[in-house]
Amino acid sequence: MAIEYEKEMKSGTVEQRMVYESGNEMAAYAAHQINYHIMGYYPISPSTEVAQFLDLMKANGQHDVKLIPADGEHGSAGICYGASTAGGRVFNATSANGYMYMLEQMPVQSGTRFPMVMNLVCRSVSGPLNIHGDHSDLYFALNTGWPILLCRDPQAVYDMNIMAIKLAEDAEVRLPVLVAFDGYFTSHQKRRVQTFAHREDVHQFIGEQPVRGFADTLDRHNPITVGPYMNEPDYINNCYQQSMAMYKAGEVFDRIRQEYAELTGRDYPILDLYRMEDAEVAVFLLNSAGEIIKDVVDQLRAMGIKAGAISPNIIRPFPAKEIAEALAHVKAVTVGDRADSYGGHGGNMVNEVKAALLTHGNRDTMIINRIYGLGGKDFYSEDGHALFECALEAVQKGHVEKPFDYYGHTPGDAATTPQRVLEPMKYEDLKTGLITVKQDEETGKLNVRIPPLRQLTKKPKRIAPGHGACPGCGIFSGLELFFKGIEGDIVALFHTGCAMVVTTGYPYSAHKATYIHNLFQNGAATLSGVVEMFWERKRRGELDALNLPDDFTFVMITGDGGMDIGMGPAIGAALRNHKMIILEYDNEGYMNTGAQLSYSTPLGHRTSTSNVGTVQAGKMFHHKDTAQIMAATNIPYVFTGSEAYPQDLLKKAAKAQWYAQNEGLVYGKILITCPLNWLSEDKMGTQIVNAAVESCFFPLYEVERGVTNITYNPEEKNKKIPLLDWLNMMGKTRHMAKPENADTLHRFEHEVDRRWSALKAKHEHPDL
Amino acid sequence: MVTLPKVNALGFFEIRLESIGGLGANLAGKMLAEAGVNGSGLNGVSFSSYGSEKKGSPVKAHIRFCMPETLIRDTTPVERPHIVGIFHESLHKTTHVTSGIYEDSLVLVNSTKTPEELKEKLCLSGGKIAVVDAIGIALEEKNRVNMAMLGALFRLCDFLDVEQMKSVIRKSLEKKYPNAVQPALNTFQRGYDEVKFQTFAFPEGIELPEPVRWDTPLLGYETQPIGGMVVNPGNSILKDLSISRAGMMPHFLSDKCIHCAACDNVCPDYCFVWEEKPDKKGRPQMFLQGIDYQYCKGCLKCVYACPTDALSSEREEDGYADEHRVPHLFDLAARQ
Repeated sequence: MAIEYEKEMKSGTVEQRMVYESGNEMAAYAAHQINYHIMGYYPISPSTEVAQFLDLMKANGQHDVKLIPADGEHGSAGICYGASTAGGRVFNATSANGYMYMLEQMPVQSGTRFPMVMNLVCRSVSGPLNIHGDHSDLYFALNTGWPILLCRDPQAVYDMNIMAIKLAEDAEVRLPVLVAFDGYFTSHQKRRVQTFAHREDVHQFIGEQPVRGFADTLDRHNPITVGPYMNEPDYINNCYQQSMAMYKAGEVFDRIRQEYAELTGRDYPILDLYRMEDAEVAVFLLNSAGEIIKDVVDQLRAMGIKAGAISPNIIRPFPAKEIAEALAHVKAVTVGDRADSYGGHGGNMVNEVKAALLTHGNRDTMIINRIYGLGGKDFYSEDGHALFECALEAVQKGHVEKPFDYYGHTPGDAATTPQRVLEPMKYEDLKTGLITVKQDEETGKLNVRIPPLRQLTKKPKRIAPGHGACPGCGIFSGLELFFKGIEGDIVALFHTGCAMVVTTGYPYSAHKATYIHNLFQNGAATLSGVVEMFWERKRRGELDALNLPDDFTFVMITGDGGMDIGMGPAIGAALRNHKMIILEYDNEGYMNTGAQLSYSTPLGHRTSTSNVGTVQAGKMFHHKDTAQIMAATNIPYVFTGSEAYPQDLLKKAAKAQWYAQNEGLVYGKILITCPLNWLSEDKMGTQIVNAAVESCFFPLYEVERGVTNITYNPEEKNKKIPLLDWLNMMGKTRHMAKPENADTLHRFEHEVDRRWSALKAKHEHPDL
Repeated sequence: MVTLPKVNALGFFEIRLESIGGLGANLAGKMLAEAGVNGSGLNGVSFSSYGSEKKGSPVKAHIRFCMPETLIRDTTPVERPHIVGIFHESLHKTTHVTSGIYEDSLVLVNSTKTPEELKEKLCLSGGKIAVVDAIGIALEEKNRVNMAMLGALFRLCDFLDVEQMKSVIRKSLEKKYPNAVQPALNTFQRGYDEVKFQTFAFPEGIELPEPVRWDTPLLGYETQPIGGMVVNPGNSILKDLSISRAGMMPHFLSDKCIHCAACDNVCPDYCFVWEEKPDKKGRPQMFLQGIDYQYCKGCLKCVYACPTDALSSEREEDGYADEHRVPHLFDLAARQ
């Protein structure tokens, strides 16, 4: 039984309060107590909850942090950087690919010396998408010039967040600070956590206002130039200043943590050493695994083995001297790296530990490195024993047999190699001949003929059943209906999002034809590369041997999230006019990461980052009109569609294919239901999108070579319904019918009417 | 001071909830843990299995309780539970729900069956089996399955304070959903009162298997195609998604069907099976044959889309899906 090995800690001098919360909740809780001025953020698992919890608290008036939903992490880092130059306190949280996307901004922020605090909720950065916890994102942070504080549990997440802002603002530091903890293991597990009972005591510790006396961009009496163009010979001196400040940050942290320990009774020395005083073998681990290993140490000690564990609380600056001292009398240490530095003969930590020992004159301690726990692979105590076994074996043999290896990888069984299950779809089944698109030779207009939907049930579906979407998900009915209108072969690219995740959970794939995934800020660019390679290889005759019966139709599938973060590349692809289709399934939010607002979320709608509370009632700004934005790129064909109007959508799919094969880029948006996050009944999906069309919130229309045509006008059919009739069908908008939200409803109605009127005008005038 | 009935070597009493997304097991686990930590002064940790699993997919919630002075370091899932709470009876078809139980562990199942029947169905050689008809109670009380399961779990965790839990339920609901407070409390109470137990002696010589680590994959670095590529796409057809249904399913009456394909247009799971046959005039035409229940998640969109009475919404009964399933005829690759 793990009873506290060290003596009971002092309880501290400040009044505290116990809560039972997760790491993400504690990061948000600390941020709300600090009451930062600004948080610019973009959702990514597993860090998203930090913004969600802050928004929920904000909706009920518990803090005044201005929460700004960015258009991607690059944007969020920009918002934070700008805000930090303007003299207030700034906060952010991200993970993995999100961190990579903002990476170029990190050295800018540290190099121009503007403090802020960012939480990195560690997750793997990967090719095949993995959203679970390892340290591959953290290792990219090592060279950014940000001091890095580590947290092994939710208590540390809270404590480090309080200390981080004080460290960042210190006159001798003036650097942005990263607080890193393990995705899911720490971010999502609830524990007992001690907190400051009063916000005033937090402010007493960190200072009510940021440390003043440093220039900011809002002081008109003292104009400054931020970020000049700096060549050699000056640049190296800026770097030297930064290097000095970083090492200073180590000293300042050591001072701050002692002040903090006085107040709270919780101490975070540079190194967390567990039973190291007489240890002969040790294991060095970062973050959550560094706690689990302590149970293993206790078990080994009970067996008479002198084991100990080391886990740093800060890795930038790297505590080289402290580590060398801690290992001075250790015979062998296993360093576990939760990310590889491919080709580096060891992960980043082992190589830094080795350098530390060499620098400080220790050539005796044997060092073994194991890469473990990648992509969230659990670290059980049996794994801890295996890491100690490496060190024990070295001690016994007197040398290290295998200095570098992976731990926890498996070879697999030759008998279970992947076998083809389905035959590839036959071209003649996909090319039914039932759908025809002919261009009128005189007018140039397209005449589309489609059969009754019954006949098209013969056509194979492009996606196989067995995918893991929620019951009633609108994505898959919508996509297949669109695909039914396309004859012949499709090569599809799916952006990151629900449709991608639920169809490709390894080793399964529901895609019967060729499919590519790329991260959702870059699908349009990626598919345009595929398209151009097709045409170039075809031109060079390299595809002749395949006897392709026809050209492929290239389709990119994206959610509305992918059209936020990926708007730039989508516009780029449109302006280049590649022969491809971009099809957006719009479910009015980032549903894959837990229903955060997207720019397509309409005004007043409840999401997990536009909560409804005493002082906030859903999303604060209007929905994005993506179809009109894309139409403004002057591509040949833009359309909107819905499964509630199947013939209309089929015809548009057929036209889309014709344009994508003959003229260039097509963009289409289908509105689809997300019962889970719209808080609506599974079975009502089709009716809800139907109501969205009939209320004129989501008009069905096309823009063909610049000419707008409304393909279904509810007014003319006498079917127009009030907006509220649609909103009342969903739990996420039920509050909008309440009298206190009448103003929001009115503004929403006004905006829908205005856009509908503008669309009608365009429909009537081919020049508009 | 509260005492835990039993603990493992590290000092933990461990509970694992097995469910599908959408039944509220995550919330039930959270409330159970909070009741132990905030209400009874225990130390504890709780979490769910996280990933990109959606509603209807298998999920687990893990709860560890220990005495206040015990340090919590472990972040791994509960492999050896003292209590397993199974929120969906059919889960055992795809998940080893009782993995790692001890001889004296308690297995609670949401079911209308008897403990004997469940012992058979879950292939248990013995032990203590508890049953509560959580779906039935929830339907009658117009509340959620998780409240009934929570009531039953409280009965099994007699070290926790029932009154404390009721005040948590009251507090968490009264502001937003004041009308839901009484039904939730009734559902909780009925779960507590109506759970039935039976203990079965283990036959001589039977030893319970050690848990198998869940994170050992089928493929490995010698057999996995490079780059994570899937070279046998479409293999999702091998999956059985019938456990995603949370009680309701569509029934198909072919004689009322006009083969309009409205159901096929709205089905997210591609469950409708068609066949080409000659129509009355001898021309080839498509005819709806039925539903492949292996993939049906019970959303019932098709029932709403159907212009006739050919599709209806029904409570799922044991065996109906297997009996009435019309399987897809896929163009399967020849297997060696």
